[in-house]
Amino acid sequence: MGGGFDGRGRALIGAGKLATETKKTIRTIPQERTPIPEQPASDRIGNFDEVALGYRPEDALREAERCLLCKEAACVPACPVAIDIPGFIERISEQDYRGAYDILTDANLLPAICGRVCPQEDQCELVCPVGDVLEPVAIGRLERWIGDMGLEEGWHNVPHIEPVPYRIGVVGSGPAGIACAADLAKAGCEVTIFEALHAPGGVLRYGIPEFRLPNEVIDAEMENLTRLGVEIQCNTVVGRMFTIKQLRTEMGYDAVFIGTGAGTPRFMGIPGEALHGVLSANELLTRCNLMGALQFPKYDTPITIGSHVAVIGSGNTAMDAMRVSLRAGAEKVYCVYRRTRQESPAREEEITHAEEEGVEFHWLTAPVELLDDGEGAVRAMRCIRMELGEPDDSGRRRPVPIPGSEYEFEADTVVYAIGTTANKVIGQTSELELDERGYIATDDDLSTSMAGVYAGGDIVTGAATVILAMGAGRTAAGAIKDYLKIRDTEVVYQPDGAKEGPFGFDPRERNHVRLRLPPDHTVPEPALSGSGSQEG
Amino acid sequence: MSDTRYLFKRGKTWWVKISVPPSLRPALGYDLRRSLRTQDLETARQARSQVVAEFRERIARARRELDGPTDPKPVQADGYQITAREDFSDVTYLLELSHPMLAEAAQPGQFVLVISHEHGERIPLTIADFDREAGTITLVVQAVGKTTREMQQRCVAGSTLHSVVGPMGIPSQLENAGKTVFVGGGLGVASIYPQVRAAQEAGAYVIGVVGFRNRELIFWEDKFNRYCDQLIICTDDGSAGIHGLVTKGIEAAIEEHEDIAELVAIGPPIMMRACAEATRPHGIKTTVSLNPIMVDGTGMCGGCRVIVGGEMKFACVDGPEFDGHQVDFDHLMGRLRRFIEQEKQALETWAEGLTGAAAP
Ligand SMILES: Cc1cc2nc3c(=O)[nH]c(=O)nc-3n(C[C@H](O)[C@H](O)[C@H](O)COP(=O)(O)OP(=O)(O)OC[C@H]3O[C@@H](n4cnc5c(N)ncnc54)[C@H](O)[C@@H]3O)c2cc1C
Ligand code: SF4
Repeated sequence: MGGGFDGRGRALIGAGKLATETKKTIRTIPQERTPIPEQPASDRIGNFDEVALGYRPEDALREAERCLLCKEAACVPACPVAIDIPGFIERISEQDYRGAYDILTDANLLPAICGRVCPQEDQCELVCPVGDVLEPVAIGRLERWIGDMGLEEGWHNVPHIEPVPYRIGVVGSGPAGIACAADLAKAGCEVTIFEALHAPGGVLRYGIPEFRLPNEVIDAEMENLTRLGVEIQCNTVVGRMFTIKQLRTEMGYDAVFIGTGAGTPRFMGIPGEALHGVLSANELLTRCNLMGALQFPKYDTPITIGSHVAVIGSGNTAMDAMRVSLRAGAEKVYCVYRRTRQESPAREEEITHAEEEGVEFHWLTAPVELLDDGEGAVRAMRCIRMELGEPDDSGRRRPVPIPGSEYEFEADTVVYAIGTTANKVIGQTSELELDERGYIATDDDLSTSMAGVYAGGDIVTGAATVILAMGAGRTAAGAIKDYLKIRDTEVVYQPDGAKEGPFGFDPRERNHVRLRLPPDHTVPEPALSGSGSQEG
Repeated sequence: MSDTRYLFKRGKTWWVKISVPPSLRPALGYDLRRSLRTQDLETARQARSQVVAEFRERIARARRELDGPTDPKPVQADGYQITAREDFSDVTYLLELSHPMLAEAAQPGQFVLVISHEHGERIPLTIADFDREAGTITLVVQAVGKTTREMQQRCVAGSTLHSVVGPMGIPSQLENAGKTVFVGGGLGVASIYPQVRAAQEAGAYVIGVVGFRNRELIFWEDKFNRYCDQLIICTDDGSAGIHGLVTKGIEAAIEEHEDIAELVAIGPPIMMRACAEATRPHGIKTTVSLNPIMVDGTGMCGGCRVIVGGEMKFACVDGPEFDGHQVDFDHLMGRLRRFIEQEKQALETWAEGLTGAAAP
């Protein structure tokens, strides 16, 4: 054969159709990035429906055209789970959507979720060479489109699973736990996820609101996990119901993965934090997303969101808290952040959406005191203006207060979204080594100080992103496979190149664990049966 | 010709192979095959049927998966069964739940979070008793708000709760097995019981001080008597035991015993504060169990934050027990009133619904 294969079995130039087609160049592709239809800001603040409505088929096809299908695609290593991005985009162009879905879901069990919430602009889309000249290919939007199509069509990518005699316990059903469980289930292990809350999904469920990530999408993608044979046991606090050690010993789990996240909210310790109307963003979001508080009294959980809501912080969590507050009927929502928009850790898209919806941003502002209305509730916030000084350890310029610049503004609800720290229970109830900030200490392969116990996601790195947590879950799954000496089923065999082989099949095809054929691919039965036909 | 159905030879070894229906090939591949590890055709024939049967089963399973499980495994638990109920008064009732794992894990001082039905809220309830052998835990509930009143109506033996999770919180740690006073007021009487039993079993000299409004409302007197070296009952109206609040009982105990090492109190915040004030002059170590408003109970919402010794703590994961002399009770009581308006509204809507439903 003229070409080679890269690690994922994709034909390299020379082997297939890439060579024969006229090569796309930056000049021949559609120049403008295809916009994604959105609900107008004025409508959407009155509902919890999704803001970004998703591509239509013509949008997706046009956007897929913009991908140059690079040979050594820079976006692939930039994706924490190394999706074969050009591979799936090429399938879209060929209108082989099922094929695109299969490529995506080989690497990422949750494409409809990641396509919505990944910070693509810092990952795959950041390194896309189209972005050097034009706007980069909208990889995330294409991923979401295929993911949504998979959900609508009821596709699932369940490979052949060869059982191995191992049981794996996964603690926490957030993205890290989900990704780890999926990989190990595919490798044939019997996997059980233990989740403390009454519904699975971690932050996806209790944190990210419906207008960014509808619950149906979570439910549907989580169902694919159960199709792989993973069992999800909710209402189970590991550490308290049983310990990690018990899991490994008495309960007979051969390996354990901990993905318990970093959900403990931080407060500032300024006067007035005990007042009514002061709460963490996690409390606000949990009440609304997990417990249905906005449908009170149909749902029993209450929430009080006043008319003037000030949210402290400017990350994704802050944006979500502000946008939920707007939808809950707040008249005015302020964002108070001690640095500037440039330093804001939220995704650009989220900030833009919040601005469009009418959030008022107070950059370079820090609260110093919360003021009492005389009846135990918060009335206003006293703030001080800041300016940027010398860069600090994080390389960002440190905000310093401007003396005498204090001022007050009215707020009857104050929400803290200034970051979170490790969930404590596992640390309290095990002998696992923690780092100085209380996160679980791991080696590069995510093994902890206890043999057979691995950890990843926010509980190791501190609050990060969905896809980084999923990447960690997959890394840990790889390490667990090594630890248990299970054969790696990760490398998916794709028989594209096989078309070129003698008699229409690939000489290397021999007892492969996973075999995928294009739906239209039929092989005459007799060619394979009969004794000795496999030799050669 | 000899019978080589499902068999083929690779090198000299016999293998079994059966082909996979086209619709299942994406999942299973063209065919399923396995070496029989024999070069002898007769042996291979004998071994064949078992492997073929196993492969057939695998194909059938794949087909079921492809068609989708008829009833995908419910992600949420089906519910937790209530095995017994007892009413102590027209507002206080006991529920016994079957939950062997929880019963196995429960320790004195811990609590559970309960959601009574799908639209319910998560409420923390102290584990009032657990029986490892029977696999049950006991909760004692006071019908005060909408949720607990509704539970009073719905929760009968045989019914289920939507979600029960626990045991939450750090188990209570008795530092020494000297003379210890355990104080329970109202509902706290039930909550303190597991500690009384554990302390007695650990060899402590146990003094129980329990407070009720009146004689009719007294419960578990026999249980306490079994594990207390001395039991002091207080009633608000004097209809039984000491006439007065539990603090009177504490004073009596302190007077009688000079060597009290520790006091543990569970009850309404106002009572726990009074207990802490009663022991402060005597320098007796005092532990109180706080029960602020919680949502998740796993440390993620911070709704249960309390101030202890000037520092912020989360009652759900740092507690629920804290040094009573350090707790800022004003802060606690203020925060407990956060949702008073909503609670009233919930109760009203619920009551309206009830009368509405009662009408023909
Ligand atoms: C409001 C909000 C918005 C966000 N928006 C984005 C975004 O747009 N894009 C993005 O990429 N990232 C976003 N993030 C960050 C992202 O959600 C997290 O980084 C990611 O979910 C971390 O995954 P995880 O699996 O490590 O932990 P989590 O998702 O936190 O899951 C941990 C799970 O473990 C459970 N658990 C904890 N302790 C125990 C125990 N002892 N026993 C059993 N179970 C336990 C928890 O209940 C939870 O379900 C956001 C975060 C928040 C809070
Ligand atoms: S998962 Fe995230 S980083 Fe990976 S391709 Fe999709 S959007 Fe990009």
